[in-house]
Amino acid sequence: MKRVPLLKWSRVFFAILFFLPVTLFFIDFRDMFPDRVSALLEYQLVPALLGGFAGILLFQFVLALLFGRIYCSVLCPAGILQDVINRLYCIGKKKKKGTRRFSYHSPMNVLRYGLLGVTILFALFGFTGLLMLLDPYSNFGRIATNLFRPVTMWINNLAADFLMRVDNYSLYHVTVTTVTTAALIAALVALILFIVLVAWRGRLFCNTLCPVGSLLGLISRYSLFRVSFDKNNCIQCGLCAQSCKAEAIDAKQMTVDTSRCVDCFNCIGSCSKNSLTYRFNPVWKRDRVVLPVELSVDSSATPHPNGRRSFLATTVAIAGSVSSVSTLANKIVPIEDPKIEKWPPVTPPGSLSLERFKDKCTACHLCVVQCPSHVLRPAGLEYGFDFLLRPHLAYIDSYCNYECTVCSDVCPTGAIRPLTKEEKITTQVGVAKFMIERCIVHTEKTDCGACSEHCPTQAVHMVPYEGTLTIPAVTEELCIGCGGCESICPVRPVRAIIVKSNIEHIFVEPPKEEKVKEVQIDDFGF
Amino acid sequence: MKRRDFLKTSVIAGAAISLNFESLQAALSTNTIAVEKVPDLVAVMGGEPEVMLDKALEALGGIGKYIKKGQKVVIKPNIGWDRTPELAGNTNPKLVKALVKKCLDAGASKVTVFDHTCDNWQKCYASSGIADAVKEAGGIIMPGNDEKYYKPVDLPQGKSLKNAQIHEALLEADAWINVPVLKNHGGAKLTCAMKNYMGIVWDRRVFHQNDLQQCIADICTWSKKPVLNIVDAYRMMHQNGPQGKSAADVATLKSLIISPNIVAIDTAALGLFNQVKKLDMAAVGHIKKGEEFNLGTTSLDKLTIKRIKL
Repeated sequence: MKRVPLLKWSRVFFAILFFLPVTLFFIDFRDMFPDRVSALLEYQLVPALLGGFAGILLFQFVLALLFGRIYCSVLCPAGILQDVINRLYCIGKKKKKGTRRFSYHSPMNVLRYGLLGVTILFALFGFTGLLMLLDPYSNFGRIATNLFRPVTMWINNLAADFLMRVDNYSLYHVTVTTVTTAALIAALVALILFIVLVAWRGRLFCNTLCPVGSLLGLISRYSLFRVSFDKNNCIQCGLCAQSCKAEAIDAKQMTVDTSRCVDCFNCIGSCSKNSLTYRFNPVWKRDRVVLPVELSVDSSATPHPNGRRSFLATTVAIAGSVSSVSTLANKIVPIEDPKIEKWPPVTPPGSLSLERFKDKCTACHLCVVQCPSHVLRPAGLEYGFDFLLRPHLAYIDSYCNYECTVCSDVCPTGAIRPLTKEEKITTQVGVAKFMIERCIVHTEKTDCGACSEHCPTQAVHMVPYEGTLTIPAVTEELCIGCGGCESICPVRPVRAIIVKSNIEHIFVEPPKEEKVKEVQIDDFGF
Repeated sequence: MKRRDFLKTSVIAGAAISLNFESLQAALSTNTIAVEKVPDLVAVMGGEPEVMLDKALEALGGIGKYIKKGQKVVIKPNIGWDRTPELAGNTNPKLVKALVKKCLDAGASKVTVFDHTCDNWQKCYASSGIADAVKEAGGIIMPGNDEKYYKPVDLPQGKSLKNAQIHEALLEADAWINVPVLKNHGGAKLTCAMKNYMGIVWDRRVFHQNDLQQCIADICTWSKKPVLNIVDAYRMMHQNGPQGKSAADVATLKSLIISPNIVAIDTAALGLFNQVKKLDMAAVGHIKKGEEFNLGTTSLDKLTIKRIKL
């Protein structure tokens, strides 16, 4: 008699419970979800690692030590996305070609632990770019932001056009402005990689490239609760191995590689003899399997690499090459360009400094999605390789809302630190630089003043010029670098007022409160 | 009473009711017994926005003169900034609400309100109180945030601006009412009825690139003119405009001006403004340029002006 696969379905239930709001939050172009949905993302491992949230890290490690890689099936949006892809791939296929298409493979320990070591070392030496490119959460974020979101917006526009004809404006037209080429490519590559790997060998990404998978694997191999064989019952039919997305079950030897098992529990339901169970089975209680002779010959052909040993070996090898890495990183980053055209990127208020932001941001693009003024845009290579995909304030056609703190409220890594409204309106991320020789008032001798119009602090104000004309002037100590002026300046190709970033953000005085003067008028004046 | 008499009286009474005594009533209510010419411009001072609107429309002969039964009407306030009504960055929501009601009462088939905002449009619509006001009054608040909503229009008379993309609500409308708020303006010096046209177009950058003052006059030459301009000067931003920093930029004038003549109303508004802050007509270049296009007159003495103090 088959048991109801309770464990599997609770896994699916919790995964959906987590995945749905997170995905919708990333797609949320109408700003319908409260910013606090981002709390769901605070448990993401790489953001917690970069943010230095020790409590969350400890929680995740203890969870993995107790129950294995539950994280990978329930808390990792990229993991759940891969399960969704797998589900879609299985549609219309017979069991043999779909859910039972897998087979046991030995782990690629050199690759996964080696890559983990390299990633960590790079990060320790100040280059978090590799971690950012491999982090599953951020890859999911980039896919949702740059692919799922635009597609949803496009569908929304079709529906809005239709409703418009009947004077219904509950849906409105939206334009995709924040998807940059680099971000689109990054998202496409990640999604295609997920699709190909899932179709080919299930959760291969999670057990080779993923730094979170590798890190948790190091812990989960000692997990107390694990999927275990009842060796007296097992008939070695191999159904479990065929249904294992992680390809971690060796039915012949009746072993489950817990370092790769993602706790999906599909195997438990697949077993006709009920001989697979998820139970308390710590390392010290496990009975060693005596390998049949012919099998050990088999495995000597492909030697079982010892995970820890290879990890250490790779680490040492990498450590030797580290000095060259750091010099390489220095070469890529232009330290200070004297030409003004090459100003560094303006980083979001709350990021404190360019260096700190580069260290902590994983380019998940949640801020890009949630920014109500669509001013945050992922960079390409224009600011060097170590700013790739990271968001900056691009004052192309919008600016940073004066009292808005959304990006700092939602950032899961703390790369953009939470700010109060008072802190926000006094954080100077850059300073507006006015170049009179390009200004329309100067070149065309006509009124303009668009920059001053959009300045919330009147740091950019109009002063008398020729005749009745007035021309902008900047009081730098009032400027917070919001880009209102730059975004609206009509001069092309290079604008006449441009925000120069502060590499270190500073605090400025808030604009002085003026006294309200009582104005009494009894006449019309005409 | 005999049935025949009753019927007779009913018919006479019915005929009497259908007669239009509006102008007489208007004259009576403003204590001017002699039946006078309908004014070209009405200015009201000293009341709440909806009350002043009432009085002003009454003096003009009622909204029914401008809005006909079954018409699609657009009301174009200034909703440019993410500011609350007290800061006077946008048209007073009470005025917009009262006006939407008036149009619907006059038999408009629908009343649509929109603006191409400067700040984030949803924030502007919400903070200004206008989105709620329009909904409460039974009008439609329409987005203006996307180029999709704008269609190209030729401006054959324009000097610098030969064409523009204008919001489709206006293109489809049978009548529209221009409802600016009177403010100081860093670029145009003064923003009122003519400047409010900049919220009906998609691309404002070309305005700034090609002589702002001329372009403002040019866009006002668009063939579909507003049936009325209603200037909200209940609260007036006299400095740091058009966005304003604080309540210190605002003077409470409790005034309203109404006229179909867009140049005259801007001239009058400038007069009102000048009592708080000095501003030369020459600096507000677009008003004179509007007069050169024959969009109206700056010579207020040639017009019939009605001034009402409450």
